[in-house]
Amino acid sequence: MDDKVRVAEQQDLDTLESLREADADLRLPAVVEPVAYPLETLTPVARQQTPAVGQRAPRPDGRLHGLGQTKYIDDMTFPDMIHAKVLRAGIASARIISIDVSEAEAMPGVLATLVGKEIPVNSYGPSIQDQPLLADEFVRHAGDGVAAVAAVSEQIAKDALAKIKVEYEPIEPVFDPLEAIKEDSIKVHPTASNIYASKIVKKGDVEKAFAESAHIFEDQYRTQMVEHVPMEPHASIAMWDANERVSLWSSLGRITLGRADMARVLNMPVNRVRMIATIVGGNFGGKNELTTEPVLALLSKKTGRPVKGVYSREDEFISSTTRHPFIMDYKTGVSAEGKILARKVRLILDGGAYCSWSETTLGKACILSPGPYNIPNVHIEAYVTYTNKTMTGAMRGFGAPQVCFAYESQMDDIARKLGIDPLEIRMMNAFEEFADSPTGQVLESVVVKDSLKIAADRFGWKENG
Amino acid sequence: MTDVTLTVNGKERSASVPPETTLLEMLRSKLNLTGAKLGCDVGDCGACTVLVAGKSVNACLMLAVQANGRDVLTIEGLATAEAFHPLQKTFEELASLQCGFCGPGIILSAKTLLDENPDPTVQEIKDALAGNLCRCTGYTKILEGVVDAARIMNGKQDAA
Amino acid sequence: MRAFDYIAPDSTESVVAALAAHSPNARLLGGGTDLIVDLKHTSNTPKVLVDVSQVEDFHGIEMTDRGLRIGSMVTHTEIMKSEIIQKELPAMVDAAHTVGAVQTRNLGTLGGNLVTCVPSMDSGPTLLALDALVTIAGPKGSRQITLEEFFVGPRKTCLEPDEVLVDIIIPKENVGKPTHFLKFGLRKGQALALVNAAASFHVGDGNIFSAPRIALGAVAPVVMRATKAEDFLAGKEITEANMAEAGEIAVTEIKPITDFRASKEYRRELVAVFTRRCLAGAYALHQSRA
Repeated sequence: MDDKVRVAEQQDLDTLESLREADADLRLPAVVEPVAYPLETLTPVARQQTPAVGQRAPRPDGRLHGLGQTKYIDDMTFPDMIHAKVLRAGIASARIISIDVSEAEAMPGVLATLVGKEIPVNSYGPSIQDQPLLADEFVRHAGDGVAAVAAVSEQIAKDALAKIKVEYEPIEPVFDPLEAIKEDSIKVHPTASNIYASKIVKKGDVEKAFAESAHIFEDQYRTQMVEHVPMEPHASIAMWDANERVSLWSSLGRITLGRADMARVLNMPVNRVRMIATIVGGNFGGKNELTTEPVLALLSKKTGRPVKGVYSREDEFISSTTRHPFIMDYKTGVSAEGKILARKVRLILDGGAYCSWSETTLGKACILSPGPYNIPNVHIEAYVTYTNKTMTGAMRGFGAPQVCFAYESQMDDIARKLGIDPLEIRMMNAFEEFADSPTGQVLESVVVKDSLKIAADRFGWKENG
Repeated sequence: MTDVTLTVNGKERSASVPPETTLLEMLRSKLNLTGAKLGCDVGDCGACTVLVAGKSVNACLMLAVQANGRDVLTIEGLATAEAFHPLQKTFEELASLQCGFCGPGIILSAKTLLDENPDPTVQEIKDALAGNLCRCTGYTKILEGVVDAARIMNGKQDAA
Repeated sequence: MRAFDYIAPDSTESVVAALAAHSPNARLLGGGTDLIVDLKHTSNTPKVLVDVSQVEDFHGIEMTDRGLRIGSMVTHTEIMKSEIIQKELPAMVDAAHTVGAVQTRNLGTLGGNLVTCVPSMDSGPTLLALDALVTIAGPKGSRQITLEEFFVGPRKTCLEPDEVLVDIIIPKENVGKPTHFLKFGLRKGQALALVNAAASFHVGDGNIFSAPRIALGAVAPVVMRATKAEDFLAGKEITEANMAEAGEIAVTEIKPITDFRASKEYRRELVAVFTRRCLAGAYALHQSRA
């Protein structure tokens, strides 16, 4: 190596040292030091071999996770960055009469506020664009954002929220999905019905098969609302540049969809929106759509500063999507031996205030609701309804876990009533290779029975069951 | 403003901070040590776990000034330029972490456990990690990672 | 968090002086596991935070003439690791172990747990069952009262704004008294008690209950003693039937509420079972020592 270069390095180090001393004298925050850790990389053996099956595949990001070196949104910072907070309505259903942000704006440290009327196209959603970014006319659930503040610190932004005055005219809310689906129910949106999506699947003739069944089982099953609770709350940083382009660093899991939505709500060409995905600290379906990204973008536009917005845990619970609560009516006709002859299912999905990924959830729940069983006669109806609750959306399985709870619960009831071993009744009815699904799809690589057998052997079903 | 001097990862670091600054805020925004995370902000999730005087604490519940004059170990100080901590090695090899957000806290909680109890039972590991939530893994691989690290540290298994 | 001033006095006198100067705008900071959450998420910020964790008088676990003295700033972890407590009062170790998780126990203090005075506090029942006393320092000097008098209502103790809890004393005759603590939460870690309970008694001549104590948490506005059940037991023979009967009597003394964690009916069931099991546990400890 050239000696001169080394001398130069040495000088740099000295300069840094003297900087540190000066820093200590001034009692300023210490100079940030680089963190040392081993730099050699682990060779991902599995990725170089074929077949990969049976090989260990280390996660490409696993090492940095353990070293604390993975950078999530909240670990990133930009010069002059400011912080945004969103005021939540705290009322389930109301008409907004007025929003007064003047006192908040007058607070020292507050740089800008934003209300829904300032958003070019204030509606979004992955399938139906029924959700405002900030509610401007109506509040439809308590977690609806009504105004946002950008300030030099998170605390000032939080304090400023308390100074925003919103006048509401309360509207009677509807919470029970069974109430909401009635014709004369209170309507959450200005639509004729609260039901905003439905699906029917028919196969064979259920009524005829019920008449021929030895036993009929009729039960209702319900599941509750579930929040994803990702360890990392929703977080984004928006930077509007002088060139009228906006860059977003976001915990959003689907940036291409998000980018299109951003362009739509900001009413600008998509090529002016740059989305940068980072490592997401847990998604589980809850980070599949925009949340406050456009709000941050507009606050950045107003202030000329990068704006960071991180959800509080409370925001996460009350205003991000959740898993749909289901009300599931199952009617099943069974032969004397335990063969399922017919199944009629009615699913009512509580969609909360906005559509989000309800249509996907409805479709999947519908198709999977009879279970992995050969049932010649099937009738499924599924409806999703608005209520004045936190909106429900995508969450691991899109409705599959809810219906699984229902049909497997009923299978156990049937087995008990007929005096058949619970494993046996499943083996008797389970799909086999080339079985017909309720929608007529011919299934391949079906291993339900093998899986059941292996599982039963492993946990000693016969011995312990 | 209050002057706070900490020995962070073996080095003395000072900063002037307002008294209401939490230890977590000081580490993250003044010292740029972002390994400890803000997860719940109420001391339930453990994502902000760091060691103060060798004991695990929720850095979101401790004021920086309360740690004044004490030793603080963050995840960034666990590995040296030459070697990983055995926990970092086993967690990587077993893919104990998925999204990774809980990882720094979990590894530090596990470290204090292994420092005090080199050969813990699975129940003892669960008890030691009760203050660290993970939403991705279901904890199985995390438990295996701790068990394996204990083995390595006890010399029962070569550090592969 | 909003701005406040921070002071960390190093003696009881200076804590009292600081409170005199700043109350009611001051709050005491111990381990902070409750207070910091409060300061972050509620709007009542004090002007001054008085950190009492550096006062030497508030630390230490030792035997004195009067009994076992535990400083109010002793952490739950320190209780779990104290040899004398492990030996003489293992129920206190069990109770400390059920508080939060490792991180909370490393910061959180016994005194903090008591002054917070939530009905489900895990330190309360065992100490009540041991007739614990507390020392309070204030502008008029220090006073000593029973822990039972200390608890006034939910989140309310008899501490005046200018007073501070110095230590907890377990009377000499109760150091080593067979005691048992049980807690039922929805999870094993990080869960608030649906019900917690402790029982203690000496084994009198003729195998009878002597000085029986039953204390129950999360079933009334404050941690409470089941005195009727205690009266029933006093002087009676130690039998499983009597223990079960005491459990049934204890149920009549509690005032549980229904909340999102459990119904009052469920809490009643738990109290009957836990009272019996705590008594049985204390007896088992006595037998194992004999």
